[in-house]
Amino acid sequence: MVHVEIAAEELFALGPLIVTNSMVGALLASIVLLLAARWFTRRAAVVPSRGQSILELPIEFLAGIVRSTGGKRWRQFAPLIFAIFLFVLIANWLSLLPGVGTIGLWHGEGEHRILVPFVRAGAADLNFTLGLALISFVAFIAFGLRANGLRGYLKELLVSEPAYMTPLLTPIHMISELSRVISLSMRLFGNVFAGEVLLATMLALTTATLLTLPLAFVVPGVFIMLELLFGLVQALVFALLSMTYITLAIAEHRQHGSDDHHSGEAPEQGTAAANGAA
Amino acid sequence: MDLTPLAAGLAMGLGGIGPGIGLGIGFSKAMEAIGRNPEASGTIFVPYILGLALTEAIGIYALVVSLIILFT
Repeated sequence: MVHVEIAAEELFALGPLIVTNSMVGALLASIVLLLAARWFTRRAAVVPSRGQSILELPIEFLAGIVRSTGGKRWRQFAPLIFAIFLFVLIANWLSLLPGVGTIGLWHGEGEHRILVPFVRAGAADLNFTLGLALISFVAFIAFGLRANGLRGYLKELLVSEPAYMTPLLTPIHMISELSRVISLSMRLFGNVFAGEVLLATMLALTTATLLTLPLAFVVPGVFIMLELLFGLVQALVFALLSMTYITLAIAEHRQHGSDDHHSGEAPEQGTAAANGAA
Repeated sequence: MDLTPLAAGLAMGLGGIGPGIGLGIGFSKAMEAIGRNPEASGTIFVPYILGLALTEAIGIYALVVSLIILFT
């Protein structure tokens, strides 16, 4: 009934680089963002015009959240969070425009004829979400390293509080760090991809018979409204989870450091003193 | 007989039970908290969204698995 392709379809190849239709969608989102940024920075005024207010709205909303939950160093990672949020948001919302996923070329013959659309939702390809998740992964490890130093980071990872638990807890720590990449990417991909399949299914169901045809003007619209909401929520979730991982990576050290100071009387006195001197 | 659609349906249906219960509990607690202290709705919002995302991820895993069963 509905043709579903999990992997993004190949459009053409630039040498070794294969350009898929999801890449086109992601590029379109980048272009929209770049144009908006250009327009916005050129005409920015202290007293915002109507258009500027609309553009400032998501940033103000997110800045409020980041400021209140991001801890002391929220200014350092706020641009990254904003970029992730806006990029995912625009990519998700662009995929709801008419023509995306529906205009394309027919490939194959007869029964096996499939439509390969020119543009596909960026996040409906695991490569897109995995790339973003890897950026977030590198960011929270880098912020952790910067806040703790290499030694503090490795200590957090390799040394557990009761020493005999180390062989058990270290693999768990490592797996939990790595699983963040998988869960971040799978969540966004699953949501957006399921949304695409849902919309296609609703359209196919309502246009299946002549009797239900009038419903085709109403039912997909309702689900598109739902997808608008989901696109916003998923962009927010991705950005907020990245922020939480970064704040956790930064804050782990402070807690750890204060623990060291409290247990300064215990056998670890030498290292605590060394920490204080450094 | 091809049981692939049945497998996909079971994966999604059984995988949806847990996250559904979890999301319901989380949402009801958030509403209770807002009902008791309406001023706190701003501070409840972000942890609520994060908890929602983490709970919902389990359902999304089931969805991805069932889609993979169905279409590969």
